[in-house]
Amino acid sequence: MSILKRTQQWATFARTWHIYDCTWQNPFDSAKVVKNHLMGLHKPIYHPMNDCGDHVVLINTGEIALPGDEWIKRVYFHHTGYPGGASWTLAWQLHEKDPTMVMKKAVYAAMKGNLQRRHTMQRLHLFPDDKVPEEILGNVTSQIKQTRVVPKRLDHIDKETLENFPAIMDYPKDYVLR
Amino acid sequence: MVFTSAALFVRARGPDEFWRKRRVFKLAAHFHGRPRNVYTFAVRAVHRALVYATKGRKLKKLDMAELWKTRVSASAEQYGVSFDAFKNSLLKSNILLNKKMLADLAIWEPRSFEALAQLSRERAVVEGMPGIQERSVMNQVYGLKNLLKK
Amino acid sequence: MSNSHLFLKSGFPRAPLQNGVGRYICQLQRITLKFCKNNGSSRGMREFIEKQLIDFAKENPGTVVYVKPRRHRTPVIVAEYLNGDREWHNCRNLSKEEITQWITLMKTQNGSSSSLRLRKMWHTDMPSIQGPWTPFTLKNPASNLVIFPNEELSKPLDVEKSATEKLIELFREQRLSEGKLEENRGN
Repeated sequence: MSILKRTQQWATFARTWHIYDCTWQNPFDSAKVVKNHLMGLHKPIYHPMNDCGDHVVLINTGEIALPGDEWIKRVYFHHTGYPGGASWTLAWQLHEKDPTMVMKKAVYAAMKGNLQRRHTMQRLHLFPDDKVPEEILGNVTSQIKQTRVVPKRLDHIDKETLENFPAIMDYPKDYVLR
Repeated sequence: MVFTSAALFVRARGPDEFWRKRRVFKLAAHFHGRPRNVYTFAVRAVHRALVYATKGRKLKKLDMAELWKTRVSASAEQYGVSFDAFKNSLLKSNILLNKKMLADLAIWEPRSFEALAQLSRERAVVEGMPGIQERSVMNQVYGLKNLLKK
Repeated sequence: MSNSHLFLKSGFPRAPLQNGVGRYICQLQRITLKFCKNNGSSRGMREFIEKQLIDFAKENPGTVVYVKPRRHRTPVIVAEYLNGDREWHNCRNLSKEEITQWITLMKTQNGSSSSLRLRKMWHTDMPSIQGPWTPFTLKNPASNLVIFPNEELSKPLDVEKSATEKLIELFREQRLSEGKLEENRGN
């Protein structure tokens, strides 16, 4: 193989590191997007038997937003293998124990169960906040778009904007404001 | 008087046992262990292999079609066009490339594919198809427009 | 049903060392004709040797020709190629013309073609003109300067305007029109 062809091969199969901000994102919608990048499904050269998956760094997994009342309704099952070893953990409990776990399990569940899945998961790097080690952040060259807009919190909006916000209606005169 | 010829005629299979078995062993030559060397195992394994081969002929085509679809949709997504919108708008523009050719173009001649993607976008916007993302995707893509600019 | 291809070597059609581009080297290096002087099965072979072999040898100085008579055995052609292949071909009861055809085939191929299963019927040294796709093909060079994580790049595309934004827009329009009205009154 000539040098030119060899470098062409390296370029085509080069691994990219993506970063994804989980702030206020639905983990199950995000998992579908992240899965595509992990498995290389976003590349034209995809083939289930060629190793073209990318690395994905997930930051702020502690800030995810589960839809509806899933924090109290979603249950994670674990069995130690011993008799009586079954345990059921609510999503909020799991999130308190490890803030990366809900996101990790969402990505894991989004993929089809085969021998490749656990190797693909090795390319996923999760961080509960935006503190990412330098050697990992140094590799990142691409950002994955979030699935929804992060809403702005009322206490993060500056005072001036709040005061100048247009009044939709006037309160009736006999309305008691507390 | 006992007539055995009919029963024997039913039992008589093939001209010669050796050659009949050899026909099976030829098909089992690449198997491992007893299915390769022992006739009773070989004949079962060969039977099963032939069934797999028959099914596989159909499955191969389905698998390839699925792979091409994944590849083409991945390449169309780069330009913010969904697979269905891409394929339909190409059809409406009277470009009758099949999935295999589109996948090959996306891998081997990416700039030709880009031209197709642009064309299909324009068409999809005119036809008002769903599955088209904002035009800003095209601006983010480092496409022909930037390459030709001096 | 035949499974004779099971243990065949497989490969792609190719010309060794770009043979035929600029210069051509005959890949057939050595050819041995084995035959019997009496037996009828060698008749075609004997005819070939009598009538055509000298011309063949003169036309192909790059090929060594051996003729090997042996008693009461089937005529055979053995061809040896530059790539080390050795092809053995049975010529029992073949006529002169058939043997000529086989030898022409051996002369023009670059290895034993019967011992190679072709995976594809075509070959190209230049599969791509524009260069194959890479992750960097559509990447804007400006993205080298971006510091990650980047909030702007993270925002989703195709976001519909929220009610708040629509309200603020309406409010601005209203104010503008009011301002214009006042200006008109002033004039």
